Amino acid sequence: MSAAPQPDELTPPPLAPVTDDPDTGGFFAAAAAGQVALRYCGDCGALLHLPRAYCYHCGSWNSAYRVVAPRARVYSWTVVEHQIHPAYPVPYTVALVELADEPTARLISFLPGRPDLRAGQELHAWFEPLADGSTLVQWRPVRSERAADQGGELR
Amino acid sequence: MSDTSWQPGACAIAGIGTTDFSRNSGRSDLTLATQAVLGALEDSGLDASAIDGIIRCDMDLVRHNDLAEALGIRQLTYWGECGPGGVAPCAMIGQAVAAIMSGQASTVVVFRSLNGRSGRRYGAASATAGQQLAGGNGSYDEFFLPHGLLTAGQMFALMARRHMIEYSSTPEQLGSIAIACRERALANPAAQMYGRPITMSDYLSARMISEPLRLFDYCLETDGAAAVVVTSTERARDSKNGAVLIHAVAQASLPGTQPGMMFPVLMRDSITALSSRAVADLLWSRSRLGPADVDVAQLYDCFTITLLLQLEDYGFAKPGEGGAFAADGGIGLTGQLPCNTSGGHLSEAYIHGMNHVVEGVRQIRGTSTAQVAGAEVSLVTSAPPPASSALILAADR
Repeated sequence: MSAAPQPDELTPPPLAPVTDDPDTGGFFAAAAAGQVALRYCGDCGALLHLPRAYCYHCGSWNSAYRVVAPRARVYSWTVVEHQIHPAYPVPYTVALVELADEPTARLISFLPGRPDLRAGQELHAWFEPLADGSTLVQWRPVRSERAADQGGELR
Repeated sequence: MSDTSWQPGACAIAGIGTTDFSRNSGRSDLTLATQAVLGALEDSGLDASAIDGIIRCDMDLVRHNDLAEALGIRQLTYWGECGPGGVAPCAMIGQAVAAIMSGQASTVVVFRSLNGRSGRRYGAASATAGQQLAGGNGSYDEFFLPHGLLTAGQMFALMARRHMIEYSSTPEQLGSIAIACRERALANPAAQMYGRPITMSDYLSARMISEPLRLFDYCLETDGAAAVVVTSTERARDSKNGAVLIHAVAQASLPGTQPGMMFPVLMRDSITALSSRAVADLLWSRSRLGPADVDVAQLYDCFTITLLLQLEDYGFAKPGEGGAFAADGGIGLTGQLPCNTSGGHLSEAYIHGMNHVVEGVRQIRGTSTAQVAGAEVSLVTSAPPPASSALILAADR
């Protein structure tokens, strides 16, 4: 009689991001270095988010990633209760966040369970290493950050 | 805006057809498409030999040549496709009009066919188990799927939550939309939810899918197809059931539409006002009509919140007041804007917006199972993200 499989064996790893796309790869390279970086026009300074090569504001092809503060605010969220994918057991929460430095730039974050969120709540970035070597930028409330420092489970 | 040369009513819908709507058709997508088109041809009194154009949705598994061969069409002179996905139906009608008005075709079939329950189920399709990598190639999915944002429903849940944050909208307001659509389906024997009433208590106690959206905020999954025949108004007047005029059709995007298929619209300046507001501006301009002129509307309802947002985008309610408009009876059969009179995606069937076009035609003909007396201006809309399309059908009087 074989031992019952452990939960970890039943849950596959989360989907990993493509990190070598010529338009978006720089975001993930920065994430791997523990930084949140957005793409900006090198000539007029316009934010190019989601990341892309051409700046239609000034016609420039000269752009680069610039590090921004790893702080954001809750813009919206949903608690997922119906499971879609084996790598994402429910319940979990998907948050849409706006960056503190660039309120017009939004990103998505995974949060475990059903955290008590409110609009405008301050979040800090953390960097989740995935099994394939890529890194996700995730966001969590400051108090969860303290819990994580004390050895709390994040995922 | 290039609306000055639009010719209201130059083209018309001459025939409509659908299959039955089920959870397990036992037939191929091609068979469903063929049956819906044969139904539309029978309804119009035209023979398949009259068809020289076909327009498809980009997510349909049936190609134009598949359908042409199945129908025995001798020679296509025009074919095209629109999308993404549910954005297509009204834009497909627009493309048929463009083909006819430019002389590239004379009579065009527009169709949508899917085994949406027994075959490829949307909402599971964005992330297939076993897939390892997400994104790249301009999809921008790498910013969304790895974080667990996997489905359209979850995206619309983020929009619904934001609407609640900005305007204090309530679950009961969303529930009133689900119930209104269900009440219309109770009169429609073809609807999947025929004979299955729901109450507000049923709505509120149903299981949460992606909070704040519950089970009845979600559309159905359907095996089925729907089709219409588009031709010049002159030809349509000779068809068996006469012409239903394409008074205006519009497809439009907004600045900052964002790339990709769907999720990047979450990056836009607002996620509670969608590209349908740009479609509305163009549609009202081309039609020389306004919200007050519309007798009946089939608003794209993949989710209750989708319909709510369009009430605001098309100007039936002020921003933030779409929920109250619905909850106060505004979308009911005797309300200011009777909506989704066949039951819509929420309660009739999910044919990706095409059943809305068919029902819009029935309202002008006076043959709906929830007929709005004397309806002469019938609005149909398609999915709002990332860009959208809509249609005004009018009586030939």
